[in-house]
Amino acid sequence: MKATLSFLGRRAVIVHRPSDTTDRLLRQCALLGLRAEARWQPLSAVEGVDIVLVDADEGWDGLLPWAPSEKPVPLVALLASEAPGRIAWALDQGADALIAKPVTASAVYPAFVMATRRHAEARQLSERIARLEERVRLRALVHAAVRTFMVTDGCGEEEAYGRLRREAMQTRLTLEQTAASILASPRRQAG
Amino acid sequence: MTVLRLGILFSASGDYGALGRDCRDGAMTAIEDLRGVCSIVIEPVAGDPAGSSERYIELARRMLQEDGCRHVIGTVTSQARKDVIPIIEKHDALLWYVCPYEGFEANPNVIYTGACPNQHLRPLFEHMLPAHGRRVYLTGANYVWGWEMNRLAREIVVEAGGEIVGERCLPIGDTDVGRIVAEVAARRPDFILSNMLGPSSHAFLRAMRELGRRDPTFRPERCPVVSCDLTECELPEIGLGVADGQLAAASYFDSLDTLANRVLKAHVAVRFGSDRRVSSYFATSYATVCLCAEAVTRCGTDDPVKIRAALAGVQTPSPLGPLRIDPATNHANLPFLLGRISGGDFVILQSRPTAVADPYLIRRRTSVQPLRAEPRLRIVS
Repeated sequence: MKATLSFLGRRAVIVHRPSDTTDRLLRQCALLGLRAEARWQPLSAVEGVDIVLVDADEGWDGLLPWAPSEKPVPLVALLASEAPGRIAWALDQGADALIAKPVTASAVYPAFVMATRRHAEARQLSERIARLEERVRLRALVHAAVRTFMVTDGCGEEEAYGRLRREAMQTRLTLEQTAASILASPRRQAG
Repeated sequence: MTVLRLGILFSASGDYGALGRDCRDGAMTAIEDLRGVCSIVIEPVAGDPAGSSERYIELARRMLQEDGCRHVIGTVTSQARKDVIPIIEKHDALLWYVCPYEGFEANPNVIYTGACPNQHLRPLFEHMLPAHGRRVYLTGANYVWGWEMNRLAREIVVEAGGEIVGERCLPIGDTDVGRIVAEVAARRPDFILSNMLGPSSHAFLRAMRELGRRDPTFRPERCPVVSCDLTECELPEIGLGVADGQLAAASYFDSLDTLANRVLKAHVAVRFGSDRRVSSYFATSYATVCLCAEAVTRCGTDDPVKIRAALAGVQTPSPLGPLRIDPATNHANLPFLLGRISGGDFVILQSRPTAVADPYLIRRRTSVQPLRAEPRLRIVS
């Protein structure tokens, strides 16, 4: 079970023209323990901001200071329109959740929880993909290290791989890092 | 003269009819008591949805659209409240909700006078965990009240270094408690949290009584059943004496010895006979109608927008103590009482002063100290 999310002390920015919508959002933010401000100007930075809400009905490119793939904080789109272009704009900004306008009180907490989780999951996923890509890139080193062991120890591929893994475990390095250090060592190369 | 046409929407029949009857009777008693005393006229429009979602929605619609009500006091379950809220919002009316609930809601069109978890579950567990132990079994009705209360209880227990030894829910109305009781007997918890209501809860308490007879480990002194929704109004139905020793949290008990409560009980005795016990459902509903009437009197209108604004400055004496609504959350400030069942009454074991509601539990996680620091192992890959 994931713990119930608390937003106490976190900061929200609502990028939306001041209106009944921002009034309702500010009320719910206060109830959830968030410090929130509404503004209708391009956002220049998100330092110290934990969640951003943006008007997807009137938002334009450049309103938010990031490329969609580099979205640094959870993003909630505020949307009354059903126009495909506006939905696409919200998606292009990297929206993690949606609050339909007019805003009902019960829509806010669920959207915040969902956006926070989705944003964290997307981050973990892209970090994981980067790690795996790095490993794929270095796979040739692992093969080379296994071949080296097969020659120096006169053993089969499986045993050589097992030895590489044991060394990696003992030195607390990844397989790839261990393989690189073996290949770089002249002693090993010489056998 | 200002007229307050008040919708009274409680299920007085069906699975949790006893709760609904107490809520309805509390509201009607308040209207009677206020007649001629306050300077407004209260016209009740009552409807009994009998626990059906469709009936709740239809009756609420009729009260708002055809009967001219702008205020409805009602709904017992959270399911029913959530069913009715969209119609209340559509008419910009006010729903006065009087039952304890699981929190995580603060609708501008609802005034909450029932307690939420920082006013019932948290103080209950702050007492139970140090006093009875940290191995807890969770049961509940299979809907949002049971699910969310069990979830919060699990968080509190785990945070305090305790353990949930089992969790099982039953559909509302289901009395097949055999499996739960067998699990309790096998896993031997230190206490049990029951969020069941009506017939399920009654069957469970009877079965625990039997289990306690066979094995003293499960008597209420050793392994009590605690709840945040069991009140005087269900004790006769369970059987007087059957649930003796079990515990409940509430913001009011009939046995409360205050002037305001003695006055209320005198009125109830005249109206319903001296055997009638007053539950927190009855007393909260009674106090809520008085609060609503006071706000309408001050405003000289029943306009919901004006009433909501005026509530910030209204405090009325009540059997629950001085009743005030926090304008930030629309929730009442409420006291916490812990009662032990004895016959048809609760003996008050502990009381805490009035606390501000914190529906989203943002103020504090828990005050139960963990038993020990958890050892944390990491796997190196």
